[in-house]
Amino acid sequence: MALLEVRDLVVEFKTRAGTVHAVDHASFELKEGEALGLAGESGCGKTTTALAMMRLLPSNGRIVTGSINLAGRDLVRASETSMQRVRWKKLSIIFQGAMNSLNPVQRIGRQIAEPILLHEATAKPEAIERAGKLLELVGISRDRINDYPHEFSGGMRQRVMIAMALACNPSLVIADEPVTALDVMIQAQILELLERLRRELGLSMILISHDLSVLAETCERVAIMYAGKIVETGPVVDVFSDPKHPYTQGLVAAFPDVRGPRVMPEAIPGDVPSLISPPAGCVFHPRCKFAFERCTKAEPALAEIGPGRRAACFLFPEVPEVSESEIPAETR
Amino acid sequence: MIRVRDLRVWYPLRKGLFGELLGRKREWVRAVDEVSFDIRKGEVLCLVGESGCGKTSTGKAILQLVEATGGDVFIEVPGAEFERFREASSNPQETGSEGIADEIRRKYSITWKETARWSVPEVYAFTAMAETALVLALLVPAAVMGLVADPFTSSWATLGFGLAVGAILGFVASVPPARPWRRSPMLLALLSIVLVIFAGIPTFYFWGIAHGGLGSLGGSAIALPWERDLFAMLLSTGFAPIVAAGTSALLFDIRQRTGGLGGIRMRGLRRRLQLIFQDPYESLNPKQSVYEIVAEPLLVNRITRNPEETTALVLAALRDAGLRPPQEFMFRFPHELSGGQRQRVSIAAALVLQPDFIVADEPVSMLDVSIRTGILQLMMDLRASRGLTYLFITHDLSLAWIIADRIAVMYLGKVVELGTAEQVIGQPKHPYTRALISVVPSPDPRKKGERIILKGERPDPVNIPTGCRFHPRCPMAFEPCGWNAAEVADELRAVASSGPWPALGEIAVTDPRAISIHPPPGASAQSTAEALRAAIAQDRGTRLALKGVADVVVRGDSVVVMLHEWSEPPLLELGPENMVACHLVTPPGTEAAAVTA
Repeated sequence: MALLEVRDLVVEFKTRAGTVHAVDHASFELKEGEALGLAGESGCGKTTTALAMMRLLPSNGRIVTGSINLAGRDLVRASETSMQRVRWKKLSIIFQGAMNSLNPVQRIGRQIAEPILLHEATAKPEAIERAGKLLELVGISRDRINDYPHEFSGGMRQRVMIAMALACNPSLVIADEPVTALDVMIQAQILELLERLRRELGLSMILISHDLSVLAETCERVAIMYAGKIVETGPVVDVFSDPKHPYTQGLVAAFPDVRGPRVMPEAIPGDVPSLISPPAGCVFHPRCKFAFERCTKAEPALAEIGPGRRAACFLFPEVPEVSESEIPAETR
Repeated sequence: MIRVRDLRVWYPLRKGLFGELLGRKREWVRAVDEVSFDIRKGEVLCLVGESGCGKTSTGKAILQLVEATGGDVFIEVPGAEFERFREASSNPQETGSEGIADEIRRKYSITWKETARWSVPEVYAFTAMAETALVLALLVPAAVMGLVADPFTSSWATLGFGLAVGAILGFVASVPPARPWRRSPMLLALLSIVLVIFAGIPTFYFWGIAHGGLGSLGGSAIALPWERDLFAMLLSTGFAPIVAAGTSALLFDIRQRTGGLGGIRMRGLRRRLQLIFQDPYESLNPKQSVYEIVAEPLLVNRITRNPEETTALVLAALRDAGLRPPQEFMFRFPHELSGGQRQRVSIAAALVLQPDFIVADEPVSMLDVSIRTGILQLMMDLRASRGLTYLFITHDLSLAWIIADRIAVMYLGKVVELGTAEQVIGQPKHPYTRALISVVPSPDPRKKGERIILKGERPDPVNIPTGCRFHPRCPMAFEPCGWNAAEVADELRAVASSGPWPALGEIAVTDPRAISIHPPPGASAQSTAEALRAAIAQDRGTRLALKGVADVVVRGDSVVVMLHEWSEPPLLELGPENMVACHLVTPPGTEAAAVTA
């Protein structure tokens, strides 16, 4: 049974310029112990999806429809108090730019212990003791428990953030761009750490990154997001070696490969569309080199096109159109 | 086009007032430590390395945006001249070689600074010259004036007096050994004013001699010229400094041009050397429109004379940077642009001065992958159309792989490997390069290779490791790499606490190359030494620091661990274009160093 099942998630932000359709009918699932990669350009709704799962959307954002089923509990309908029991204990997040989200005037041991103290009935010395164990788990010497964040390098701070996310033994960890601002070598160290933790603790993980190569190395399955929609999902090896959706093809081709031939990668022309008024039909058609007439009129649904693979593109005859009845009027 | 030689950028480490007062040894962050490379016309040289390895400092030092602590950055030095410099600097004992090297540096190196180190003869010469300046500038006009029957009554004579003071002062201050100095015009001006104010004293002294009697007017001599013709005296004090500064500047200029003393002019060069910054979200002023941002270099450098000309150049630069149609972008503000467009504005601002050489400091690392290619393609197109040369700074080896002609890999302020892209990426020789390449993630999961993940993080550039600076993290480090006593002692302590070996007793570092061990009570020095030798023999494959141990000897009742000699590996030329600094590689023709497993 799937640990996490997200169905038709729609998230909107109200802004002065209009309603931003940040996440539009996103559906995906995650099995126990699996790592799912969420990829796409910036402004595609990856982080919003993560925040919606944590129910931590900013005040102008709301989940319009859809369900987020975590181990049998629908988080969309959960009350704020029951959400508080879920956060950190069942589901935790390593925020984007995490290196800078530590409190600079608090010792890191205290910071790691904070979620433990908040969520579990533990005494403070015991919580600090556990913080020390967590530090060792992420490869930092326990002696540094009383240091302040500025005494750590970027990679070490990221380790501290990971330790914090693991403080209450969650079953699912969402890592939002965990290695983006780090050096390649430190990146490799952190990815290795995440892999080890996943193996040792049996964690499930959602890894969000704009860097496909990071996902390629760490995840089992990927979901590619574009303009708030999931356009392709499948096992990571299949998706990257044989991308089906033109957007995925573009993304894969845009990556320079140090082990490949010395050629300039291809660019995807144009920019991510405004999510206030996304293009009609398939959202990707203005940038798609294969677009034909049907793409401008109807919207492709995410449908099975092969074993374990789904894509939302009319290039595949089996992909149906999104029928109007499925879409609540308010989101159109 | 650009030759960098032994470039050093060291930042002083501040220790606070007390530290300075106590005269503690000054410590330096050695960001760039004797880096040498050439950039050829029209090529893309990539500087690659982890953050903090000195890539950006190198780039900035080449543009003189940070001051180089030492070394040279030669710009367009002719081959023959550079050869002369190399010869002169390779045998510094030879007399006159320093002069030749300095002469070429002065002409072509942008890091050259006129040093004001004074030798004793120079101080004498300078004192003599200052005296001459005073005597000549004051006494000659005064003596002439003293011959006149009634000094300072004719306004023209008074004015002439002031001009003469200024001109003589300016002349004397410009002949050798005087050197151009930033404050010299100011000093000359002040001196000439003083001389004119007190002109009366010597003049009336000479007047006294010429007309009988000595210095008859005494103290009132100062006031007399002023009483006689106040206006002319004021004018004279006004003109004298201008003439003094002007004459010296003019004469210096002539001397520099004829005497080969002409230093290079940074302002002219700045036009030709430009920079593209890393983060287009922070490098553009949010309060300036695109037009203002791109036009600013034109206005600062006084290139254009009227707004029409400026607009035409701005439009052309925007078009070249791929912002089409340019009219549409001109009056937008940075927040109205996407990341890719912002970076294009940065490029346009660099292009508008028609540079030859651009330092691109991580120009695409903050951009989305899909936009990156567009920017890279633009940079490569500009190279083709304008013959631009790039120093491309990046931490991303896969980027270097696709755009670089040559790659220089830096580690802790040193270039450790240099070669063409094929040489560095295809056949990396330095263990650091190999590790870096192995951890670059690949978008194709099938190509997942063996990753060499280095332990720890780069060391602090204040305390650079002994020997090869990479050895503490190097998976292949061996005997001569620089294991020092502190490192080996740490490893021995770890061995003692973990292994099946008997207790080693107290481990003390006696000097950088020796460790002494006092056997624990009950054990003899002999048996401890035996145990130690066995431990080292067994663990040296996994604990690389133990490879630094040369010998274990018993001295009295203690055991002394002697360490190998070490040295910092030089940057060796391996083949055409290819240079590596590692003890593992040896120049062709010599015998390979024995690597112990």
